[in-house]
Amino acid sequence: MAAKGDMLYAWTTDSGIAKKAECGGAVTTLLKYALENKIVDVVVAVKKGFDLYDAIPVAITDAKDLDQTAGSLHCGTLLMSTFIQKYLDGAKSMKVGVVVKGCDLMSLIELGKRNEINMNNVLTIGVNCGGSVNPILGRKMIKEKFGVDPDKVTKEEIDKGQFIIEYEGGHKGIKIDDLEDEGFGRRSNCRRCKYKIPRQADLACGNWGVIGDKAGKATFVEVCSDKGADLITKAVGAKKLETSAADPKGIEIRGKTEGAMLKLGEKWRKKDFTALRDNLWETINKETSRCIKCYSCIDKCPVCIQIPFDGRADDIMVRPGFIPSDPMFHLRRFAHISDSCINCGQCEELCPAEIPLALFSHAIRVEADNAFAPKLGAAPYKN
Amino acid sequence: MSENTEIMKYVATTCPYCGVGCTLNLVVSNGKVVGVEPNQRSPINEGKLCPKGVTCWEHIHSPDRLTTPLIKKDGKFVEASWEEALDLVAKNLKATYDKHGPKGLGFQTSCRTVNEDCYIFQKFARVGFKTNNVDNCARICHGPSVAGLSLSFGSGAATNGFEDALNSDFILIWGSNAVEAHPLAGRRIAQAKKRGIPIAVIDPRYSMTARLADTWIRFNPSTHIALANSMMYWIIKEGLEDKKFITDRVNGFEDLKKTVENYADAEAIHGVPLETVKDIAFRYAKAKNAVIIYCLGITELTTGTDNVRSMGNLALLTGNVGREGVGVNPLRGQNNVQGACDMGAYPNVYSGYQKCETAENRAKMEKAWGVTDLPDWYGVTLTEQINQCGEEIKAMYILGLNPVVTYPSSNHVKAQLQKLDFLVVQDIFFTETCEYADVILPGTCFAEKDGTFTSGERRINRVRKAVNPPGEAKEDIWIITELAKKMGLKSFDLPTAKDVWDDMRAVTPSMFGATYEKLERPEAICWPCPTEEHPGTPILHREKFGTADGKGNLFGIDYRPPAEVVDAEYPFTLMTGRLIFHYHSRTQTGRAKDMHREVPESYAQINVEDARRLGIKNNEYVKLKSRRGETKTRARVTDDVGPGVVYMTMHFAEGVNNLTNTALDPMSKMPELKHCAISIEKIGGN
Repeated sequence: MAAKGDMLYAWTTDSGIAKKAECGGAVTTLLKYALENKIVDVVVAVKKGFDLYDAIPVAITDAKDLDQTAGSLHCGTLLMSTFIQKYLDGAKSMKVGVVVKGCDLMSLIELGKRNEINMNNVLTIGVNCGGSVNPILGRKMIKEKFGVDPDKVTKEEIDKGQFIIEYEGGHKGIKIDDLEDEGFGRRSNCRRCKYKIPRQADLACGNWGVIGDKAGKATFVEVCSDKGADLITKAVGAKKLETSAADPKGIEIRGKTEGAMLKLGEKWRKKDFTALRDNLWETINKETSRCIKCYSCIDKCPVCIQIPFDGRADDIMVRPGFIPSDPMFHLRRFAHISDSCINCGQCEELCPAEIPLALFSHAIRVEADNAFAPKLGAAPYKN
Repeated sequence: MSENTEIMKYVATTCPYCGVGCTLNLVVSNGKVVGVEPNQRSPINEGKLCPKGVTCWEHIHSPDRLTTPLIKKDGKFVEASWEEALDLVAKNLKATYDKHGPKGLGFQTSCRTVNEDCYIFQKFARVGFKTNNVDNCARICHGPSVAGLSLSFGSGAATNGFEDALNSDFILIWGSNAVEAHPLAGRRIAQAKKRGIPIAVIDPRYSMTARLADTWIRFNPSTHIALANSMMYWIIKEGLEDKKFITDRVNGFEDLKKTVENYADAEAIHGVPLETVKDIAFRYAKAKNAVIIYCLGITELTTGTDNVRSMGNLALLTGNVGREGVGVNPLRGQNNVQGACDMGAYPNVYSGYQKCETAENRAKMEKAWGVTDLPDWYGVTLTEQINQCGEEIKAMYILGLNPVVTYPSSNHVKAQLQKLDFLVVQDIFFTETCEYADVILPGTCFAEKDGTFTSGERRINRVRKAVNPPGEAKEDIWIITELAKKMGLKSFDLPTAKDVWDDMRAVTPSMFGATYEKLERPEAICWPCPTEEHPGTPILHREKFGTADGKGNLFGIDYRPPAEVVDAEYPFTLMTGRLIFHYHSRTQTGRAKDMHREVPESYAQINVEDARRLGIKNNEYVKLKSRRGETKTRARVTDDVGPGVVYMTMHFAEGVNNLTNTALDPMSKMPELKHCAISIEKIGGN
């Protein structure tokens, strides 16, 4: 019987999954069990597309298709929440199981609050995330900094502060700090992220803290909800999964890893926000004056839900047909998301005008969170 | 699960709009496209898209799509079976050929459709009707680039890729509003700016791209040659030309030097102060690596080819060709304007620019296609075909073009099309041109077919089928091959896009190595790619030029004024261009609701001083008139255009092309779309 708060090592009993799995195969096994037993109707995960730099979201209804999703792709910079919102009816008509990193989970929660997603129908299996890498910059980094043809790389991972690649003829690791100082490494929003273990998921999984004979053979699972506990209990009962209590030393190591990541996130916040401080208005003005109004920063933002233009009064300060967009186009968005930007980075990553949008909105939220209280949410009146 | 009940899948494909060729994912659910999602793995755009790209799926399932063949009977279109429609088309084309010979037919294909459609269309014209009267709409955008760069460098294509601008030390943008017309190429300029690479924009208008530049130089419309000559005079005067490069790799220096001596100070023509001319000339010449990026501001004039050669002159004079960070790069307008030309949908060349006049080339094609007597003559070009309607040309086949809106002088086009005995239009919507057709054949859009688009950096990007066409609409390859079969033509047993591509590869040395298998990679292949082992050629002319003697050619070219200049009756110069929110005649973007909402009707930019003098307020209606017609539009009063200059975009029916001039560039047959004389009349009212 698993219970909320448990810290476990878990591993699959399925030899097929075990063979492909990176650390015990618990996540794939739990998803498979949930799908086969109709706990969920569909599983949303990421599979490898053209190569290991190409992450594609998939909606799987047949459990046998799940094995294509095993393993991590650090060049996957996707956000799974808006995918569920837009293409799976916000989980309103189906039960969805989804593998989430921190930004996926925060954005699911925010979309749930906005009635865009029915979180009662969503089973979340969290995975630790130290950050992701833009695929094209990642390839360039491997070519220039590792001196390796990116097409020859067979595996990449981030471990112990290093970006490590395996390729035909060897393996190589370089300290993330060094790579990032030279403009490579993780996306800038990921560097500032301080949500590394997604504890608001039903289960928070990962390989941090798996030590001893279980290293590489089991998944660390923190049970974070009754729903998560129930899934573990049932999967163990059905003999699909085996568990043991996590080694206390492992728990301590996991905590230390997380602590180191949080410290790094804090370092990057200080660095990025300080650089922005002195010429804030000028910088925002200069950068946003390149805006070509593709609306990606709004359409792909999990906390910025646009009221449809049909039946809405004309904007006074944002004129249609003009580029660069009128300043209010961005100012009202920054204001709207000021208390809820989760720093997922989608706005910045998808901006064709190279505007550092996530930096601006993240800075606003962090500074405001630190300075003002309470947060009251929607008002009962209109003005 | 069958394909049509899948709850969701991504299909990676290429954007159907401009020549940048961005990769995007079409999201397919239950057999319908339900959205576009970013493809971050693309080296071209890294998932980023412009306003048109993110909405490019919205027209796919429009209720306005053509879903069945239509035949005009007693002046009205009635639905017909494919059998009936194709029989009628085959019969009438054959009858025209029998009676009037190969010059009695005209074939025109869009640059919006896939390479495979363009190739099989020109093959159909050449094999079926022994005619070279086949052309595509590159003629009215970058025809002068093909002609001019071929003369200067021996290849009519961009020398370097979009991202390569980041390797440059100086970016000179001339007659291109990349941020609006090629937004994801514009992004490279934005990246360059952030890296501190100096950017100069030469444009009569303060465009979105000019706003991005460090230096914006306003010059008088259509005076490029005078300005370039003046720049080159000062470069030579200061000894800043690349003497070694000229000695080793270039012909014609003395000719150029002699000509530019007359342009020491040409401010009276181009309007740029001498010190500014010197400054820009010296910065371009002194930069270690300098690139020229240009667009239709250079080409859409009666001096188009010479304007392009002037860009070639600047680059050759300063040794800025053949390595990273340099070159001369036309930003090709449409998604497949490079490819349509590459495929030989052109009146004087087969695929890969193999000249029809060369007997060996004809013999090769005759053998490959199982045909005899392919013509050696230069076929009739796009707008010249319109001029010949009812005279030499009696029947015309138009694939995916809307000449009534997009060709110069709409009234002329309409009158000419009416003179045809028989007109076939193959399209996805009932366009303004369809009114003039005898038969309309419903084809497929980009999401409904496999194939390739070749972007402005010669990159052959895959187009992948995501959904089935609506109703009875058919893949365009199927339509052409069925017609060919009805006419008893051999060598048209090519059921798939790959079959057509391989048919093309087999006769095209410059693309032989670009197999579909290699094109699967997100990086795709930039031609030339002569062998299956060849990785492609992102940068042209590294060792030698594509000319017969391997050398680049400098030309002494004198300035010529446009065909029609202002006078007392028509005192304003009209320039034309594009908007970020629309694509050409809006057949597709007009059906994307947010694009329509942004700009639902045409407008004309009018200088503040001119508006004040004429008593015209911002946003009120005005009537613009030229010798060829008139249009009503809203005035947008702004300093973005100089006094005496009016700017209008080309997207709206009964719009700017009611005014434009049909006068042609003698070398490339490009009509003077970007310069004519007009009058402005206040109408008033909002």
